[in-house]
Parts: sequence; C-alpha cells; structure tokens
Amino acid sequence: MKIRITRYLRIERRGELGLMGRILMKILAILLALLFSAMIFAISGVDPWYAYTLIFVKSFTYSGLTEIATKLIPILLCTVGLTVAFKAGVWNIGAEGQLLLGAIGATWIALFVDVYDQLRLPLAILVGMVSGASWGLIPVILKVRLNVNEVVSTLMMNYIASGIVDYLVYGPWKGAREWGFPYTDKFPDTAWLPLIPGTRIHWPTLLLSVLSSILVYILLSRTALGFEIKVCGQGKRVADYLGIPYGSRLIIAMIISGGLAGLAGVGEVCGVHRRLRYASSISSGYGYTAIISAWLSGLNPIGSIPSSFFLAFLLTGRDIIQVSLGLPFATSNIFNGSILISILIVEVLGRYRIRWGRWTI
Amino acid sequence: MKLHVKMLALALACLIVGGVVGYVIGSTIGVVPMVEYERIKSAYDDLSAKYNRLISDYNNVIAELNALKKPLKVGFIYVGPVLDYGWTRAHDDARKYLEQIFPWIKTIAVESVLEADCPRVIDRLILDEKCDVVFTTSFGFMDATYEAGVKYPDKIFFHCSGYRRRANVGTYFAEFYQLYYLNGLIAGALTKTNKIGYVAAHPIPEVVRHINAFALGVKEVNPEAKVDVRWLFEWYNPSKAREAAEALISWGADVLAFTEDSPTVVEVCEEYTTKRGKPVYSFAHYSPMLKFGPNSCVSGQLVHWEVIYADILSKIRAGYYTNKNLENVDYWWMLREGAVELGCDYGVPINPKFIPMLKEKYIDHPEFGRISIYDLVMKRLEQMSEDTVVFDPFTGPIYDNKGRLRVEPGRRMTHDELWTIDWFVDNIIAEVPR
Repeated sequence: MKIRITRYLRIERRGELGLMGRILMKILAILLALLFSAMIFAISGVDPWYAYTLIFVKSFTYSGLTEIATKLIPILLCTVGLTVAFKAGVWNIGAEGQLLLGAIGATWIALFVDVYDQLRLPLAILVGMVSGASWGLIPVILKVRLNVNEVVSTLMMNYIASGIVDYLVYGPWKGAREWGFPYTDKFPDTAWLPLIPGTRIHWPTLLLSVLSSILVYILLSRTALGFEIKVCGQGKRVADYLGIPYGSRLIIAMIISGGLAGLAGVGEVCGVHRRLRYASSISSGYGYTAIISAWLSGLNPIGSIPSSFFLAFLLTGRDIIQVSLGLPFATSNIFNGSILISILIVEVLGRYRIRWGRWTI
Repeated sequence: MKLHVKMLALALACLIVGGVVGYVIGSTIGVVPMVEYERIKSAYDDLSAKYNRLISDYNNVIAELNALKKPLKVGFIYVGPVLDYGWTRAHDDARKYLEQIFPWIKTIAVESVLEADCPRVIDRLILDEKCDVVFTTSFGFMDATYEAGVKYPDKIFFHCSGYRRRANVGTYFAEFYQLYYLNGLIAGALTKTNKIGYVAAHPIPEVVRHINAFALGVKEVNPEAKVDVRWLFEWYNPSKAREAAEALISWGADVLAFTEDSPTVVEVCEEYTTKRGKPVYSFAHYSPMLKFGPNSCVSGQLVHWEVIYADILSKIRAGYYTNKNLENVDYWWMLREGAVELGCDYGVPINPKFIPMLKEKYIDHPEFGRISIYDLVMKRLEQMSEDTVVFDPFTGPIYDNKGRLRVEPGRRMTHDELWTIDWFVDNIIAEVPR
C-alpha cells in the first residue's frame, strides 16, 4: 500500500515485523519518550538522570511494586475485555461505564441484599460481572439490530452510568452514617475482598485478572468460538460468507468484555473503596486507560499483562514526580503523555516507511 | 633473772605508756578527721549532684538545639490543582506563607490527588520523604487519613473538613457561613427582580449550610426575594459553572452567589454588567476575585488558612500538640478567630463602587430600627467578630421550605446540626437533591 502525501513525500507499508522486532520498537519508543521528558525535567530545574533514577528505583522497590500491582488489576481486567471486543470488530469505548455498573451491582449485593455471609462476596462478584455485561449488551444489540454506531453509543453509555452512580450516592443510597456526604455506608466485612497483608492488593481480583488474560488467550487462539469472533472482526460480509452467526458472536464478545470490566468495578468497590462514591472517584478513567493499554499490547491478551503493568507504572510514578521531585502535577502528565505519544508514533513508523523524493509510478 | 624482771617491767611500762599515749593520740587524731571527712563528703555529694543536674540540663539544651536545627517536615495533600482560584489555591497560598514566616518548617505539596490514591501518597510522604506532619485537605481523604493515623502512630495528621479523630489525627475547618449571611444581606438589598441565583458544587452539608446562611441574609433585608440553586456536582468545571450562571440569569436573577472553585460566575456577571448592559452582581468565593469583576463583584468570602495552620504548627513545635493528645482537637474557626474575612479582595470588605448605593438604601430592622444596609452589614460583622459572638444567623425561628419549623424561636443551631444540615430555608425555591 502506498499513500501519497505530497509530490515528494509518500508513505509505504513495511513488511510484517517479528515478535522481537515489535518489542524492540516499543523499547525504542520508550527511550525516545525518556529523552523528550528529560528535556522537560531539565527545563524544570531537575537533573534528568537524578529524576529517572528516583522514579525507577522508587517504583521497583517492594512497596512500589505492590502499588503498581494494585493499579494494574482494574486496567488489566478492562484491557483483556477490550481485546475480545476489538478482535470482534466492536469498538467498545464503554469499559468505563461497564466498570461503574459492576461497582453498582456489587454495592447492591454488599449493602442491600440479605444473603448468607459466605455467599455475599461471590454473589457480589457475580452480580457485578452480570451488570457490567448487560450494560455492554445494550449498545451491541443496537449495533446488531439497528446498525447503531457502537463507538458513539458505548461512549454515551459511560455518561449515563456515571449519572446513575451519582444519582445513587446523592440519593437513595446515601449513607446514613456519612453526615450527608455523597457516599454509601461502608460495606460489611463479609463483602470485603481480602488483601495481601501489608499491601493494598486485593489478590482474588489480581488472580482473576491474570487468569482471564490466559483464558482469553486460549479462547482466541485455540477455540472455534475465538476463531469465529476474529472472523467477525473482518466484517459482517466475511462472517456471512463463512456462515458464522455475526450477531450472536458479537454479543458473546461484548458479554465477555463488559463482564470483565464489571469485575474491575467489583474489585474497586470491594477491594479499594469498600463503599460506593461518586463516579469520578470510583474509577479514575481505567476504562479509557485500558483502550490505550489494549492497543499497546497489540490486542494480545498475554501482552495485556506487560502493557497494563506499564500503564499502572505511569499512573503511580506520577506521585513520585510530585512528592520526591517536587514538580507540579502537569509535569507528571507531560511525562506520561510523551511516553504514550512516542509509542504511538513509533508504532506507526514500525508499520510504515516514509519515502522522500519525487513520486513516480 | 633480775634482768628478766627489769626487762619485763620496762616492757610493761612501755606498753602502759604507749597505750596511754596511743589512746590519747589516737582519740585526738581519730575524731577530728571523721568530722572533717563527713563534711568533705557531703560537700562533694552536693557538688556532684549539681554537676549531674548541669550535665542533664546541658544535654537537654543540646537536644533542643538539635531539634531546632532539624526542620519540621510538613506534607500537604490537595484534591485539585494549585491554580484553581479556589480551595486548593487558598491552602497552597497559606503553605507558601508559612514557609516564609516559620524558618523551621519544610513543606511538600502534592496536587490533584484522587481519593483512591490518597493512602499511597501519604505512604510516600511518610516513608520516602520522612514527613512529621501531614495535612489532607479534602473531605474524601478522611478515611485514608484516619487509617494512616492508625498505621503511623508516631506521626501527626490533620484532616480538613472531616470529623474522624484519634490520638494523632486532628481536624480543622475555616467556616464561611457568617460571611455568606453578610453577602445575603447585600444581595437582598441589591436585587431588583427579587430573584437571586446560587451556583453550587456538590449538595453536601457544607454547601447546603452556606446556601441557607446566604438565604437567611437575603430574607432579613428583603422577605420578598427568592433564591434558586443550580448544582454542578463538581468542584471545578468552569464551563458547567458558566452554563449554570447563564441559566439563572435567564430565569431573571440579577445577583449571583456561588460555591465552586473557579472565578467563572464573577466573570459571567462582569460580562453581563459591562458588555450586555444588564447589571448582574456577584460575590467572590475563596480567593480575591475583584480583578475578575471590578464593576460587578460586590463582596465575598476570603479565607485565612494560614491562621489555622500557624496555630497548629507552632503548637506542634512547642510540644503542646503531640501524637497522643489530638483526640479532641477540632478547629471550627470563623470571624472571631480571624480565619475568614469578608470581601472580594483582602482589606476590601465591600467593593467601594457599591458603598454609596448601600449607604443610601435604608430598611426598618426589628433589632436596629431604621438602618442603612451598609451599617447593618458592618454592625453584624462586628457582632460576629467579638470574643463572645452575640449574633448567629442560624437563630430561630427558622422554617424549611416545606413549612416545617426547624429551629424554635430564640434557639441557635448547634455545631452538629449545622454539620449535617440537609434542608433549605423557606425562601429557597430549589430542593436538596436526593
């Protein structure tokens, strides 16, 4: 494929890179970004070498790693879910909303349903996943039946979900013991996800997230269903031609995607907050972060683990920049942003080659 | 034999004489040194006790000197960006001021911290930066602060706007309701349409209390005027605030007050006053905003967090506050303590452009008789600034907007009632969202 930009500039597709090649490209991208951010640090009056030593040393201590792992959980769950949806050609921008619905479902079980104590947590997880999945079902059914563009509908559903959370915490679910503040009451102990002692890692969810990435990998690469989902990603006509039920495969992909995002929501309310709060504090945009993470991983469920880890590292590294280097929040945003954008640039340059010179056919 | 006897006698005589002489000498010499010895010994004991005291004093002084040389490390955790023109900016200005006046403190500030990230940021401040004191400045940080107090019992924490305290966790708040009431007096006098708008961030007790205080002020000078409220459900969102302000103006409001962290409402009112030929007046919130509305911003609420911070930190420095005695330390400081100030800029209680207008407008007041609005505001300001606060806006009878008597005549609302308030007074036509 050749694209002509001007008379003297054109873009050509390169041959496929191998696994090593792709990993090398990503490392190159990170180095590029570090170089760029070094300039920012230098302008802010901080020795870049000192800054990087501090960021990496502090991030990869035991306590630093446990914080990264805590952040990794929701991002990884959403990323793995999005991978399935994206493979099926469903552009699910709604992981954020599905996560919030999962949080609502878990809160409902934790606070308002009378069940045996031993059942409370498993049920909260189950209901959270079902709520997340059903929130994802609405746009995918609209897409299959009425051909509604899912990019728009899933995005809009996020705002509705955050509106519902806000309605609940300001309204019917406002805690009796919270002095009128927009929080539900604290969950009973039986609805708390256990933590690894001395850390904030809710390990059952961590385990489930890693497990889900392995299972989804097997699903996509070893099963007929996974194959069919990937075929649907090539378009409806391809699926029809091969006799694959397009609509039902898309719905299955979205159920998996929404369910995993819902599980991420359960982890946040039962493992981190232990109550429902207003939407913007329940999820700090994990559903959107996961979109970047999914693309970084090249839509590979196993690759999701390092890519989610990397994004979690960026999110926690942010407070090292502020706390230990004394730089403002904006600097940490520039650092994160420049890393992501250079990865995207290198990604494109890895696939395409820019040619200069007079254009001849 | 004879020699023997002689020798024996001589020996005996020597023995007797020696014994007597020895006794005499012995008794003379023996007694005198004993007394001397006792005297010297007691003098020695006195001196050594004095010496020990001096040494320990000296050591204490050295320790104190070392403590003075080691700065007190203070961490601040903010919920918003430091340039928000509101809440976080006010805390950060206080922090910078403290660094100037107290050479013995060293501060670290972390901005834009999400509630879920607060525990991690506290860990980093304590473990990596060895902070001695941490201030957390958002209601949402309350649980994290309390739990950090349990986790680090030898450190001191102060949480702003919460109520959970323990031996090493205190709470503090600079309360504005008296100022909102004073702003309400002015608003009630300025409105021509008898419609007054209020742009509010979150429907939490603090904001509900401020809206009520404002409406009580309005009612005192203008019982006809009604107050309507638009909620943003966000602390900082200038575009939403603009939308809310314009909606209230198109409803007919010609005076706006607000609780959110940007100067947007003041800017919108200035725009209407100077460019669209429709005067709409406003009251600044939290920071001096006169420069955003020189022709329309009448008064407002200013905070002096540094007054509270300086009090807390100097008491920690003096050893008066420790990690053992903060259980009941709760600052709820207002005009009397100088933690808040009336005005849209420091030292400007009322924008001079509006003073003649307020001095010319008179009302018949049940307490003061015929009085100008300007004098009424100043009178109330004085009453609430005195050591014994003789006036409180939340004094009964107060009815809510459903017609229920909430505060009996003559009774003042208590701290806990104000802290949990979730209803509107009777001249507010909006509802508290549920």
